[in-house]
Amino acid sequence: QWSTPGRGCLLREIHLNVTDLGLGYRTKEELIFRYCSGPCSDAETNYDKIINNLSNNRKLDKEKPSRTCCRPIAFDDDLSFLDDNLQYHTLKRHSARKCACV
Amino acid sequence: PALTRENNCLNAAKACNLNDTCKKYRSAYISPCTSRVSTAEVCNKRKCHKALRQFFDKVPPKHSYAMLFCSCPAGDQAACSERRRQTIVPVCSYEDKEKPNCLALQASCKTNYICRSRLADFLTNCQPEPRSLSGCLKESYADCLLAYSGLIGTVMTPNYLRTSHISVSPYCDCSNSGNSKEECDRFSELFTDNACLRNAIQAFGNGTDVGVWQPMPPV
Repeated sequence: QWSTPGRGCLLREIHLNVTDLGLGYRTKEELIFRYCSGPCSDAETNYDKIINNLSNNRKLDKEKPSRTCCRPIAFDDDLSFLDDNLQYHTLKRHSARKCACV
Repeated sequence: PALTRENNCLNAAKACNLNDTCKKYRSAYISPCTSRVSTAEVCNKRKCHKALRQFFDKVPPKHSYAMLFCSCPAGDQAACSERRRQTIVPVCSYEDKEKPNCLALQASCKTNYICRSRLADFLTNCQPEPRSLSGCLKESYADCLLAYSGLIGTVMTPNYLRTSHISVSPYCDCSNSGNSKEECDRFSELFTDNACLRNAIQAFGNGTDVGVWQPMPPV
């Protein structure tokens, strides 16, 4: 069965209050937060297999290089909101637009 | 259970940020309108105005008007009316070091083709008519609101005044009018005391656009 590598890594979204982000803002405004999630095992390269094998054989001492991750490769548009003290804030690169196994 | 009063202006802002187009163009004007460019200037006013014009050009009225013309209960100053006043980021788009005379501001508007045509649009489409039930000569609240919102991002950018009833004005007054005091007052009142514009804003806010023409019987 033919399959696209990394197709389990998908863009998902959740409707949140700005305060849920935990960035310290006091406001009642809301947003759609988009994030990347899903397995990347089918997108692994020889590099990732080697890293995996070397880690298992303890040839890398204590280092643990990361393997393929499901991450944003593009970010959503900026988000602006007015806080409870009537100050505007603009968040940049806060939400994903496109995902890939990288 | 405690009765929470709806804040229409807050609800409009929430709805905007849940819509990709509105969210994009909202932050596209808030960024330039809130970015300090030097110790002397709080923002680049030209960029702020341009981005505000884009917001009202590109975002469907369902979202842009909902924020600009949201209705607030009388007496609710802080949460609702102040939020409505802040929609256009007045510290950058509205206020200035000096408050010019309204006729001088009008003259400066007429030297710019965008401002000149948008002001003419406003004077036509929001012209009051006491004999009309709508209060407007051109009995279309939609045309009046479109013309009013079109002024945002020009030197005639209007905003809500801090009054108990709905009253708007560009950033100008009629001091130093000399011989033209009456002419200035007449012009200024087309913003501050215009039943057509006020009815149009209230009808949108309450969701009760009447849009009917009931001429007075001939005398």
